[in-house]
Amino acid sequence: MKRLGAWAARVGVGFWRACAVAAVCLVVPAVWTGAVALGIWSGAGNPWSWLAPLLLAVVGTLALSRPVCQAVRSLVARWTGTVVTAGYRQAGPVTRMSTGYWWNGFSYERTRRDALMDQRWRVRWRDPANGRDLRFTAIAPFTAGLPAAVPPAALAAAVLGLARPEAAARVGGVLALLVAIGSAPFAWRLLDPVAVRFLRPSAAMELADRVKELAAQRADVTVTQAAEIRRIERDLHDGAQARLVALGLSLATAQKLMDTDPDRARALMREAQAGATASLAELRELVRGIAPPVLSERGLVDAVRALALDVPLDVAVSAPGALRLDPPIESAVYFGVAELLANAAKYAGATKARVTLAPDGNALVVTVEDEGRGGAEVRTGGGLDGLRRRLAVFDGTLEVSSPPGGPTEAIMMVPCESL
Amino acid sequence: MRILVAEDLYLLRDGMVRLIEACGHQVVATASTGPETLDALRAWRPDVSVIDVRMPPNQSDEGLRAALEARREMPGLPILILSQHVEQLYARELLADGSGGVGYLLKESVFDADQFVDALERVAAGGTAMDPAVIAKLLSTGSPSRGLDRLTEREYSVLELMAEGLSNQAIGRRLFLSESAVGKYTTSMFGKLGITDDEDTNRRVRAVLTYLNTAPH
Repeated sequence: MKRLGAWAARVGVGFWRACAVAAVCLVVPAVWTGAVALGIWSGAGNPWSWLAPLLLAVVGTLALSRPVCQAVRSLVARWTGTVVTAGYRQAGPVTRMSTGYWWNGFSYERTRRDALMDQRWRVRWRDPANGRDLRFTAIAPFTAGLPAAVPPAALAAAVLGLARPEAAARVGGVLALLVAIGSAPFAWRLLDPVAVRFLRPSAAMELADRVKELAAQRADVTVTQAAEIRRIERDLHDGAQARLVALGLSLATAQKLMDTDPDRARALMREAQAGATASLAELRELVRGIAPPVLSERGLVDAVRALALDVPLDVAVSAPGALRLDPPIESAVYFGVAELLANAAKYAGATKARVTLAPDGNALVVTVEDEGRGGAEVRTGGGLDGLRRRLAVFDGTLEVSSPPGGPTEAIMMVPCESL
Repeated sequence: MRILVAEDLYLLRDGMVRLIEACGHQVVATASTGPETLDALRAWRPDVSVIDVRMPPNQSDEGLRAALEARREMPGLPILILSQHVEQLYARELLADGSGGVGYLLKESVFDADQFVDALERVAAGGTAMDPAVIAKLLSTGSPSRGLDRLTEREYSVLELMAEGLSNQAIGRRLFLSESAVGKYTTSMFGKLGITDDEDTNRRVRAVLTYLNTAPH
C-alpha cells in the first residue's frame, strides 16, 4: 500500500514536472507557430504579409531566450540540485565625472538614469552568452521539450479517446492513459543533461571571467601586501627601533655616570635591560603576526595544535600525522584558522571548538566548528570577507553556516597539488 | 657543572659560554647544528645542556628534536631549552616523559644571570624551570583536570610557582610565607592530587604534570 502511494506520488510529481518542462521549452516554438499561423491567416501567397509575423518571431525569440534559459536553470537547480552557472555579464559601476557627465563604461550620458539605461542595453546585447542562449532555445524543444510533452499529450489523447462511444477509440484512450502514467516519472529527466551540456558558459566566456577574476585578485593582493608592509614598518619604527634608541641612550648615560654616580648608572642599566626585554616581547608579537615561528618549525598541523592550546577555548584538533603544503598556503590556512577561532571566542561566546584538517583528493579541507551563538555572516568588507579573499588567491573557498543560536561551521577548502 | 651549549648564532653562543664560565661552571662542548647537538649529548652526557630550538641544517625545530631524542635514549638527561618564543605544545612534549630535569625558557632569561644559573642548577638537579609565559597561558586556557578544582586559592598559587620550577623557599619569598607554611600547602596539595611518592623532586614534577594536564607515563 505504502509502495503504491509512493509510486502514485512519483507519477504525480513527474507529470507536473513534465508539464512545466514542456511549457518552458516549447514557448519559443509556440511563438514561431503563432507567427506562421498569423502569416497564413493574413494571406499565404502575398510575401509582404509574412513581414510582420517574421518580425514578431525574431523579436520574441531574442527577448524570450534569456528568461527561458533562466527558468530552465532554476528548475534544474530546484529538482536535481545541479547548479548550472549562467555566466552573464555584470554591469560595472556608473560614476560621475568631474564634467558632471556620467560614465558607464561605454559612453558619457547627461543623467544617471540615461547612463544606467544605456549601460543595461549594451551589457545585455553585447553579452557573448546570448549566442549560447539562442542555441539552447533551438536545441531544447527537440531534446527536452518534446519528450516532456509526451505525458500531457498522452493524457489529452486519453481524455479524448475515452469520451468517445466507439470501442476502438476507448481502447486507444486506455492505451494512451497507460503511456501517460508510465512515462510521467521519466519524461522530464532529460532536462538535466541537456541543460548541463548546453547551458554552461562556453570556454571563451569562462576564460574571460577567469581573467577578470584574476585581475581583481591581483589588485587585492597588491593592496593587502602594501598595507601589511606599511603596518610592519610602522610597528618597527614606533616599537623596536624607538626602544633600541632609548636603550642606547640609557647605556651612554650610564657610561658617563659610572664613575661619578654609580647608583644612578646601575639604575639606568636596569632600565636598559627592561627596555631590551620589552622590545624583544614586541618583536616576538610582530614576528608571530608575520610568520608564526612554530609554523616554519613544525608545519601546519602542529602549528594549529599550538594555536589550539593558545586560544581561550577548549579546542579539539583532528588532523593526519604529517601534512606538508606550500608555505604560502600553510600560512593562509593557519591565519584563517586563527581568525575563525578568534571569532568563535570573541563573537560567538563559544567555550568549545573543533578543528579538522583533512586532505580530500587534490584539496585540503579545513573545518572549524564551535558551539557558540551563531549568526556569523560574510559581509562585504568584514573579517570573513577578507578571509575569503585571501583564500581566493589560492583558488580556495570559504563556506560559513551559522544559523542564529548556533552552531557555527566554517569550511575552508584550498586546492593543493602537493597533497 | 659540565655544561653543553648548543646555539647556531655565534654571538649568542659565545656570550652564553662567557656568562656560564663567569658563574663558575664549565662548558665542556658547544654545538651549532641539530646532529652535532645529538652527537655531543651522547658523547658527553653533560650535567645540563642549554639548547636552542631552531638550528641548521633545516632551520626548523632540530634542537628540540635532538633534545627529545637524547632524552628517549637517556631518560632524565637534564636539558634546558632556550628559544625566541615559547609554545605550550613544546612544553608538553618536553614534560611528557614525566622524568623531570627539563627547562624551557625564553632567551632573554639570560639577562638576569643569577636567575639563569639558578634555573640551570634546578634542571641539573632533576627539577623543572618553566617560563612564566607558558604557565600564564595555561592558566588562561587550561581546562580543569583531575583534582585541580579541589585546590584552595593558596594551594593553586603555590602550584603555579612550583610549575615555574621554584623551590619551597623561593615560593615562600614570593608569597610572603614561611618555608614550613609552603611545605604544608604542598603536602595537602599532593594529597588532593593523589600524588604519593616519597622523593620530593619527583612529586613536584608530577604535580606540575597534573597542572599541565599531561598524564605521566
